[in-house]
Amino acid sequence: MTWRIILQLALSGLSIGSIYALVGLALVLPFKASGIVNFAQGEIVTFGAYLALILSGLGLPYLAVVPLVLIGAAALGMVIERLLIRPIVNQPEFTLVMVTFAIGFIIKAAIRLHWQDNTFSVEAPFVGPPLALGALRLNPAYLVFILSTVAVVAALFVFFGYSRFGKAMRATALDPIAAELMGIRIGSVFSAAWALSTMLGAFVGLLLGPVIGINPEIGHLILKGLIAAVIGGFSSLGGAVAGGLLLGLLETYAGAFFGATFKNLVPFGVLILLLLLRPQGLAGASSARRA
Amino acid sequence: MRTRVLLILLGLALLAGLPLVATSYYLYLAELAMINVIIAVGLNLLSGNCGQISLCNASFMGIGAYCSALCTTRLGLPTLISLPASVILAALLGAALGYPARRLSGLYLALITLGFLELVGFVLEEFPDYTGGIRGLKVPRPEIFGFSLQSNRLLYFFVFVLTVGAIAVGYNIQRSRFGRAFDAVRQSPFAAQALGIPVARVKMIAFSLNAAFAGFAGGLLAGVVGFIDPPEFGILTSIQHITFIVVGGLGSIAGSVAGAMVLTALPEVLRGVQEYGELVYGFILLGTLLFLPRGLVGLVARLEALRSAKPPAKEPAYGAP
Amino acid sequence: MFGKRLRGLFCVAATLFVLSGQTRADEPGVTPDSISIGAFGPITGPAAYIGLAGRDGAIMAIKEINAAGGINGRKLSMTFEDDGHSPTKALAAVKKLIDQDHVFMIFCVAGSNGTLGTIDFVRENGRVMYVSFASAPGVTWPFARNMFRGGTTEVPRYGELYAEYLHDYLNATKIAILNGREEYPKNEGDALTAQLKNWYQIAPVKRAEFNIGDKDFTPQLLEIQGADPQVIAIFGNPAEAAIAMRQAKELGMNQRFFVGPTMVDQGLLSAAKQSAEGTSGFALIPLLPTSSNPEMKSWLAKWKQEYPNLPAGRPNTFDLLAYADIFVVADALKRAGKDLTTDKLIAALEATHEYRVGAIATPRTFTKKHHIGNLRLQAMQVRNGEWEPVPFESKRESDILKRYE
Repeated sequence: MTWRIILQLALSGLSIGSIYALVGLALVLPFKASGIVNFAQGEIVTFGAYLALILSGLGLPYLAVVPLVLIGAAALGMVIERLLIRPIVNQPEFTLVMVTFAIGFIIKAAIRLHWQDNTFSVEAPFVGPPLALGALRLNPAYLVFILSTVAVVAALFVFFGYSRFGKAMRATALDPIAAELMGIRIGSVFSAAWALSTMLGAFVGLLLGPVIGINPEIGHLILKGLIAAVIGGFSSLGGAVAGGLLLGLLETYAGAFFGATFKNLVPFGVLILLLLLRPQGLAGASSARRA
Repeated sequence: MRTRVLLILLGLALLAGLPLVATSYYLYLAELAMINVIIAVGLNLLSGNCGQISLCNASFMGIGAYCSALCTTRLGLPTLISLPASVILAALLGAALGYPARRLSGLYLALITLGFLELVGFVLEEFPDYTGGIRGLKVPRPEIFGFSLQSNRLLYFFVFVLTVGAIAVGYNIQRSRFGRAFDAVRQSPFAAQALGIPVARVKMIAFSLNAAFAGFAGGLLAGVVGFIDPPEFGILTSIQHITFIVVGGLGSIAGSVAGAMVLTALPEVLRGVQEYGELVYGFILLGTLLFLPRGLVGLVARLEALRSAKPPAKEPAYGAP
Repeated sequence: MFGKRLRGLFCVAATLFVLSGQTRADEPGVTPDSISIGAFGPITGPAAYIGLAGRDGAIMAIKEINAAGGINGRKLSMTFEDDGHSPTKALAAVKKLIDQDHVFMIFCVAGSNGTLGTIDFVRENGRVMYVSFASAPGVTWPFARNMFRGGTTEVPRYGELYAEYLHDYLNATKIAILNGREEYPKNEGDALTAQLKNWYQIAPVKRAEFNIGDKDFTPQLLEIQGADPQVIAIFGNPAEAAIAMRQAKELGMNQRFFVGPTMVDQGLLSAAKQSAEGTSGFALIPLLPTSSNPEMKSWLAKWKQEYPNLPAGRPNTFDLLAYADIFVVADALKRAGKDLTTDKLIAALEATHEYRVGAIATPRTFTKKHHIGNLRLQAMQVRNGEWEPVPFESKRESDILKRYE
């Protein structure tokens, strides 16, 4: 166990953690904006990656693909909200959760039918030879992940904290009836919240696709994203990012010291411990949802 | 009410008479459906009546399946001991989960059950010397007093009788003071506490009962299929179990039965569309969730109201049988 | 409250039960002008690429055979059922095919999980089951008259070939193994380890595992780097292997890779790109669909005509395996004669000796003692971004047939 190995592990832990941070963000955002945990978010990430695949297959360069994917994802989010979520928004939580799950299931099945289980790749400008930092190596893509995560968090922070629409969104999530009484058009707020969520999910897919490959199963990352979000305290954006990075480090070191089997166990062990001892996570408020 | 009872008896008679006309394929399907009915009845007590979400129901099924399988193959115990053993083990582990989970609800409860699911999967896969690991485990047919149920008909009858028993037990629990406590906890934990109901203990009991049903079903599954492996008891299976009760009608025993049977039959019916099966299943599920908010039970109630030409006074009471 | 009524039902049901009897048809699935084959495999879920390719390859072969006149005046028909890669569903599929659809024989294009769920039922039932892909030992061991294994070979055989190739051909004595924690990759890793010990008395310098779905392999790669191997054997899926290969190169590891048969195809190359250069592995088929061999080119043209709308990555190994295996079955059906029975088919299959439909397939041999059709794999290496055959011939005698003597 040399210093080089320890530091390289730290670097790769933060790298994989940046992926978890992004996915965690993509889960916390819809929760913050509309109070719903969107179990389809994993498949929205997949959708983003495949949409990028289609567009770059048409010959468009990556930088042109990015805004198109975001627009496409926003449209998808608004359609889902209007047609599928709004009619049942008063149903018990179970039904809503099952509906988001069914939506994800359908998206994945449709993708699998058309592209089958091949792993595709797309070109992106941030994929290249590894950067050398002394004896350590870092894939530049991970740097882009971290920077994007920070940028997204900053943008959302400004949006929720200082813009009128962002504040309207927070108000609606907190208490829709009161918000409506205050004159907020909650219909538009719901649509926008979903559009924002799906845009973020697809953005994650856009970034990840060139690095980890595009196949129908990449949505599975949502599990790790969930844990990242819980570690950070589910309603905190910055917390989700910190949670993701922490999770990546924990996992990597556990894998190095104890082997792959523990690598899988550590995230869920951490999850259980947190839920038992401190369900509000590291950054959440003390009055977390308890019985 | 009369018509309902008659319908139930008619259904039972049809099921009982199935071995006369059915091939081993249909008998097998019916057995799987009945096992799923047991699952649904148990899950309904926890999630439908008591309102606690659980993503690890498949784990308890797996615990029951592996316990029964190992008792029979490793310890040489007869089925009439290994099945109850699986129920007891599952119930104990259900309580073990229910205890720390008693203070959690909603998303956090879902996550801790997810953690439990992963833990169980880990145990099943990492000890292949005991559990067969990822390669799976072969399980012999159940046997009663030394007589092995090799005949498809006898096996069917065995499962049928046990399923009817499980439904009866579930029904009685729902009607008992436990069931009423479950409902109270779901509707308002604060009010329940104020009324003197020990909410935490009630939740633990709900988890334990749910686990017992699931473990029982798992033990039967092992014997019916003859081969089990860890992927059978993963997150997708847990979600499938939730669909049984949501589509059937939350809180209702008849709903659990109907939901489990319909959703077990559906993938088989969809064999004709070959690889589009998953997509069609997803759409049917989505459609049911959107248009039948109270599940199949709610649909029946609405049809009954239409038939009697009375405007439906209100939606059927949550938790009607 | 239910007591009395329930007891009454019980009595009625029990009586009816006892009074019913059972009939069995003789030689189902064979009519004067058709032979029906039942097939199953995963066409939904993450393993769908196996079943879909198996089904499509098989159907293409059947269409060709029927167009050429069929078998002794009969046309072949296929009924395909999904098994979702689950033993529970696979058993349902097989029960439907045998008890409901009354097929003559079963052609299995499922993975090991699904196949294992059905073995007991089929053994007891007696219909011939020809397993094209699954490598689980339970298919052919213990020996059963009606079970046959076609395209893939026994897992210990993989171990034998891998060990011989790595040690005798690549002259490597320091071998590291990185395998996924699913059944098949784990089996491959175990088989290689066992055979290295058996034949050469060496152990892998490092063995590490990864989880399916992992996106980062740095811990495992650093461990392996520390052991300084000459070759790194990777067993798993193309998606993970591609990331691992790329990360290994990033960490400055220049060792060559060695992969299992599921990764010897275009999928790995398009995902791993440069990092895969120099990788070697064994293919289950003598020629890949991308080969420039004229026979493969004309087969590919036929396939593209039959299936014009399928994505890149098809046809894959499984299309070819299933196609070749249908011809093996058809050849045996022909020799079994006009008066077709299960026993005659078994005898004809057991007389199959080095049969193959063309250069695109590996020869199959069955005997009365063992039903393992294929013992050969084709060694290949990635040169200039393409898989090229390597002139490696196994010289050591296989041990696995010994237990069938």
